[in-house]
Amino acid sequence: MLQQLLNGLFLGSIYALFAIGLTLVFGILDRLNLAHPSVFAASAFVGIWMTEAFDLPLWLVLIAVFAFGAIMGLLIERIAFRPLRERPDAHFAGLISSIAMAGMIVALLQAVFGPNTRRFPVGTIPEDALQFGDLTASWLQIIILAVSLGLMIALSILVQRSSLGRSMRAVAENPTAARVLGVNVEGVTATTFAISTALGAVAGVLFALNVNSAQLGMGSAIELKGLAVIIVGGMGSLSGSLVGGLILGIAEVFAIQYIGSSWRDLIAFALLFVILLVRPEGLFGKRKVREV
Amino acid sequence: MLFTESTLVFIALNGVFAFSFYAVLVAGQLSLAQAGFAGIAGFTAATLTPPPAQWGPIPTLLFAMVVGMLVGAVTAVILGLPTMKLRGVYLAIATLGFAEAIRIFLLNSEWTGGAQGMSVPKTLTPVVAWVVLALVTYWFARQSRSRYGRALEAIREDELAARSIGINVGGHRLSAFVAAGVLAGLYGVMWAYYVRLVAPEDFGFSTAIDGLVTAVVGGTANFFGPILGSGFQTMLPEIQRTIGIEAGWIRPFISGLLLLLVILYLPGGIASLIPRRRQKVDIASLQTDAAGLSLRAHPTAGEVVAELKDLAKEYGGVHAVRGVNLTVRSGEVVGLIGPNGAGKTTLVNMISGLIPPSSGSATVLGVPIGRTPVHRIAAAGVTRTFQHSKLFNRLTALENVLIGAHVVAKPTFLRRLIWLPSARRDEHTALTHAARCLDRVGLLDKANTLAKGLSYGDQRRLEIARALAADPSLLILDEPAAGMNHVEADGLSELIRSLAADGLTIIFIEHNVGMVLDTCDHIIVLNFGEVLADGTPADIAADERVIEAYLGAADDGETDAHEADVAAAATPTKAAEENDD
Repeated sequence: MLQQLLNGLFLGSIYALFAIGLTLVFGILDRLNLAHPSVFAASAFVGIWMTEAFDLPLWLVLIAVFAFGAIMGLLIERIAFRPLRERPDAHFAGLISSIAMAGMIVALLQAVFGPNTRRFPVGTIPEDALQFGDLTASWLQIIILAVSLGLMIALSILVQRSSLGRSMRAVAENPTAARVLGVNVEGVTATTFAISTALGAVAGVLFALNVNSAQLGMGSAIELKGLAVIIVGGMGSLSGSLVGGLILGIAEVFAIQYIGSSWRDLIAFALLFVILLVRPEGLFGKRKVREV
Repeated sequence: MLFTESTLVFIALNGVFAFSFYAVLVAGQLSLAQAGFAGIAGFTAATLTPPPAQWGPIPTLLFAMVVGMLVGAVTAVILGLPTMKLRGVYLAIATLGFAEAIRIFLLNSEWTGGAQGMSVPKTLTPVVAWVVLALVTYWFARQSRSRYGRALEAIREDELAARSIGINVGGHRLSAFVAAGVLAGLYGVMWAYYVRLVAPEDFGFSTAIDGLVTAVVGGTANFFGPILGSGFQTMLPEIQRTIGIEAGWIRPFISGLLLLLVILYLPGGIASLIPRRRQKVDIASLQTDAAGLSLRAHPTAGEVVAELKDLAKEYGGVHAVRGVNLTVRSGEVVGLIGPNGAGKTTLVNMISGLIPPSSGSATVLGVPIGRTPVHRIAAAGVTRTFQHSKLFNRLTALENVLIGAHVVAKPTFLRRLIWLPSARRDEHTALTHAARCLDRVGLLDKANTLAKGLSYGDQRRLEIARALAADPSLLILDEPAAGMNHVEADGLSELIRSLAADGLTIIFIEHNVGMVLDTCDHIIVLNFGEVLADGTPADIAADERVIEAYLGAADDGETDAHEADVAAAATPTKAAEENDD
């Protein structure tokens, strides 16, 4: 029972890390970046390649992949979002253009790495498990939990405490006012995208390590769950995504145990519907007060 | 060979599927449930329909299509009722989740054959597929210029404005959603009866995305969009294959690139290359054409139009409005003034039904406010303008006013489907009515200009024309003169007096106190959410408390007759516009 809870926590922390990147862009810039999952997939392949080709240790791979994700975020923002900024339907157009970007990124991935499933080489992480009383946790699981939680804590400190975070919150509140007050809105926008996809990239490597494989379609599999998580947590709420991700992870592990693995993928949507009916603004979302 | 039989069928199939996205996109809704509707409809129809040997292939197919459309419609209602209050991305994700849940359900059910799928006889022919596509296209062609089609456009452009002119937004959104369900169901059946082996994986996330992309690439500017999009998306891989581009990564890459180029450089999709026919009116016919809309009976002069009892609104401990008692009688011009933050807009928002009061009660034109939806209040004869104009920006001035006539115009869509001459007459009558309303505010010469292209003063007047088109008994104007110059404001004042002479009751919020004193019969001064003074213009101009609330200090030396003190403090400023009260 407690062991299941722990396993759910490990899985959930990956969901949370993936979703927190998505929700960051949505919360601050009011855009949904559907190319996020393709960065998730791409970084898993890049991470495996770096480990194989240069025999890098995992911590270096994670740093390199973080940088790779950030660069992808800058590219996506520049190509798929910035040109649409002034459109009345920028929100919707960005959705479509990021779908297009996602298709191109996955196609390029196939060009470089081929269509086959890839794995991290044996020995990337120590195989042995740790015992805590009755509970078992592998090194991999501990690394996953530590890295995800560490990054999410760092992100929340960045948003709450730093001057960049202050600018981000100002842009989230009112981009025009922020610009008038001297905030570099373009810079903040680009940085937000970079941080968002960098987190998604690390999540990709952790996910590939966790299931011991990376596939071209791995992004779309987690995409739906990520979207469900950010609604459950409350759109734009960082702590909401964390809690939502963990809840989903734990619920899935228990579902496999008690209902059967074929219904596992339904859990995310069941959660989504309950939340939408009971509390549409999500667990941590804010209600909008006035429109006119 | 570029146009093989299967290419032709797939263009028609993808076209029908794209129309199921078009059906909701024209109302500004982003739904991704269509793949789920198609899946459940396809499997259900294939299960319930007997094999073709019994009735022959075409009747079998028709029966399956009817079943599929019904299943699609029912599923859409089941999903639509709880989710119709969701907007934008929330709706997209909720519907996507629903579709995915259906796919998982189909995958784990015995009767569908699970992951192996179900084998279905191939009975769909290219001719049948294209006939269906033609019928669907015809449906939307007739919808686009009907009252129903315009109402959907209004909802897409500005939902709040649509509600305030009497459009039942929830009902229209749900009907658009059901249309999407019907079409998606139709697609699901046609797909099943063409591919021979239908599997749950045919209706997954990527199918939903493909359908959306097809609809967006084609564009929603006119009803050719989905066909153009489908032609483009279906032919693209065929063309690439024909010119020798190998499969693998290059084809999806080029598809992605082209999609990106379309969305970046062709905002309205491929259909936007076809110029849109705008609704036009023959100005010469306005005088000669006597037939008008059958308009409503207004309350007789002096009858009570609105009765407010102890009305209050509280936002988290802040009393925006409290204890307001007020009676408005027919034919009156009531001015609502007060400093910024006094609660004027909150008060008219309650009267027009946009926000429910926290306590107290009010009856407007016999309708109790609070629980009554905005569109019902509008239908009872209350229309309004907004502090920040809420026009349908991408439509022309005439089209804006035509939509404003929603509650007095007759529905025409179903009659347009069968080309009844009466539909044409009714459309013509509505158009003439709209043109007259435009004429009334002096904008007839700008009838075919897009709303967003009008000057600020003209936009304010257009908003009044749109509110007038509903033939209201009570017209509420929220700062109509903001941003107008002296000449324009004088013209507006005259217009308001002439409308009152026609029997309309008018409530208007204005910061230009001079104008309010000159125009109104009855003035209410609000301060800190409470009524500070209530009386005739002469009473108000002489009221010490009003002068103090507005001024607090000396005037700036303007000495223009009786209203000098008050007016000096209240000339509209930029700050007043920026500052929502």
